[in-house]
Amino acid sequence: MTTVTSAARRFRISRLRGSNNEGVLVVAIAVLAIVVGLFSPSFWSVATLLNVGTNSLENVVFAMAVLIVIISGGIDVSFMAIGIFAGYSVIVLGNSTGIAADSAWLGFVIAIAIGLALGLLNAFAIAGLRLPTLIATLGTQGIIRGVMLAFIGRKVLPTYPPGLESLSTTYLFTDHAAIDTRLNVMIIPSIMICVAVSLMLRYTLVGRGIFAIGGDAESTRRAGFPVTGLRVLIYLMAGALAAVAGLMHVTQVRLANPYELVGGELDVIAAVVLGGASIFGGKGSVSGTVLGVVLIALIKNSLILLGVPGAWQRAAVGALLLIGVSAQAISAVGRRRRGTIVQEEEEAAA
Amino acid sequence: MSDASTLIQRLMPERSLLRLAAFAIVVMIVFSVMSKPFLSVINFQSMGFQVAEVGLLSLAVMLSMLTGGIDLSIVSIASVSAIVTSQLFAATGASQSSAVTPVLTALFIVVGMLAGTAIGLVNGLLITRLHITPILATLGTMQLINGLMVAWTNGQAIYGMPDIFLAIGTGTVFLVPVAIIVLMAAALLTAVFINRTATGLRLKLVGANPTAARYSGLDNDRVLTLTYLGSALLASLAGIIIASRAASASADYGTSYVLVAIVVCMLAGVNPNGGYATVTGVIVAAFTLQMVASGLNQIGWNAFHYQIVQGVLLIAVIGLNTLSDQGVLSGRLGRPRLRRPPAPGAATSEPGS
Repeated sequence: MTTVTSAARRFRISRLRGSNNEGVLVVAIAVLAIVVGLFSPSFWSVATLLNVGTNSLENVVFAMAVLIVIISGGIDVSFMAIGIFAGYSVIVLGNSTGIAADSAWLGFVIAIAIGLALGLLNAFAIAGLRLPTLIATLGTQGIIRGVMLAFIGRKVLPTYPPGLESLSTTYLFTDHAAIDTRLNVMIIPSIMICVAVSLMLRYTLVGRGIFAIGGDAESTRRAGFPVTGLRVLIYLMAGALAAVAGLMHVTQVRLANPYELVGGELDVIAAVVLGGASIFGGKGSVSGTVLGVVLIALIKNSLILLGVPGAWQRAAVGALLLIGVSAQAISAVGRRRRGTIVQEEEEAAA
Repeated sequence: MSDASTLIQRLMPERSLLRLAAFAIVVMIVFSVMSKPFLSVINFQSMGFQVAEVGLLSLAVMLSMLTGGIDLSIVSIASVSAIVTSQLFAATGASQSSAVTPVLTALFIVVGMLAGTAIGLVNGLLITRLHITPILATLGTMQLINGLMVAWTNGQAIYGMPDIFLAIGTGTVFLVPVAIIVLMAAALLTAVFINRTATGLRLKLVGANPTAARYSGLDNDRVLTLTYLGSALLASLAGIIIASRAASASADYGTSYVLVAIVVCMLAGVNPNGGYATVTGVIVAAFTLQMVASGLNQIGWNAFHYQIVQGVLLIAVIGLNTLSDQGVLSGRLGRPRLRRPPAPGAATSEPGS
């Protein structure tokens, strides 16, 4: 009776909202653009677009790594450590030994190899030792960052091997307004990675397996998926993606600083969660995640334009995460409140 | 929960405490062999000053883990109480000693700790009213509060506290650091709270099985809110000690303590899925980790080596606990391992929470 009508209403709203909050995010981005534009007309410019692109091109790849892990029901806080480890190591390696010095491609191949190795460490802790993912990745974060700072280097490196040096100044667009704003050519591989992850999640057995594990690991096992193998694969992929994103970041800033990135995990986790991914697993999408990353980049960009001190950006991201998760949780509670647990089970069974 | 796993839970405390004690003794022997001054009174005193804040933050994390959650905002909460207290000193110019200084100091500490504890209330409400998972709720408040504190202090450290305030973190009574006495008092109160009061028992029940707790008529929301209030109170106290030891307060102090506190809880055998925690274990583990830190420092290792050691310890300890739960380490060595959990109940040991 009432459940039926409310269910119908919920269905209509959820259609507008998109399966993973995409609709809400598009509206939020549009409202933000209009409001900020009113206060600061220079917001509506090509430069803003290029700045957001510059900001997002590495974060969106980090977000893909986090998305895969969150859909599988885990959480990863080691991805920034993997990213800076791989990015910094490639520069050190290129400078000191000349390995992969002339080709940026080779640099990325080495980064991926490093990412896979570090991902294997996560896989060992999570799939092998069955540790809770948050605690395991907190531990590996410490190990990875410690090894980099203790054994690889602690200096900020301004000189790059020639291959990456030339990539860092290869731009897709340049906007010559008041100041030159540029967008690096790496936006193209970054978009390609998102498309690839989206196709993988949607159309491959591995992708469906990742969603299934996030839904219920035991059922997935009984359905015949090799759950342990899939978990290993998830953390290998996340490691490789994080490494690519890390090298993209190091290349873009043209100053390899080993103290960077770690500590900024929440920007990416917030983007993924805002993009509709459920921390309990089994839910999430690439399109939502990309919108989440863009929204956060846009907010940070707007705060700078409006002259808000940098410290408020941290607070804003924290607040945004809480608002985003609350909104999701409230709609879930609304559903739960309408019936007792027994009714809910009957609904689920029907 | 099946009979087997409750049995394991009942046997685990003693075993993990024994293992921890053995580890502590090994650490002590190894470092006293490697470094002469390790076993000196001065060294133990200096460890005592540092262990108090780590111990208090670990107790805070332990409380949240007891209910199956986690509090990642402890360091931000500590910075709130430290910054509010020191801003009050700065605003009133109370750093110059006068007759009312002790009263003002006590008052400002209470206000600072109330401010920190209020964040715990926010955490509790986010988790119970809005049903946000503890990880995300406390991650969000951690970032939000940290940003607000950096903005408030312009990223600068705040100085100017009276000597009586600094005595909390740097003074000694009969060679024993005051901070240790504070830690021990807090630990005792926490132990009494979780082991001897009805509310403490409720905490454990909610952590062991929230559904069963709800069906037995417990107000889970109330219990969880109390948990995060308690954890914030302990973190606020840690903030006061950090500020008084550093003679200043800053939003950037102690950011590495989240990992340390979780490592301590894991060393102590606290079950991150809820239901079991031991204050004794946490205190012993905090001292052990402090011995590791101080010993490594004396043999010339740096903070980054220590970070590696923490990570390895964390993974090794839980790995060891998980493997021994599965019976791999005791008695079943010769027999082939079960590849799958034997009963559906065993699926609760799955990672992914």
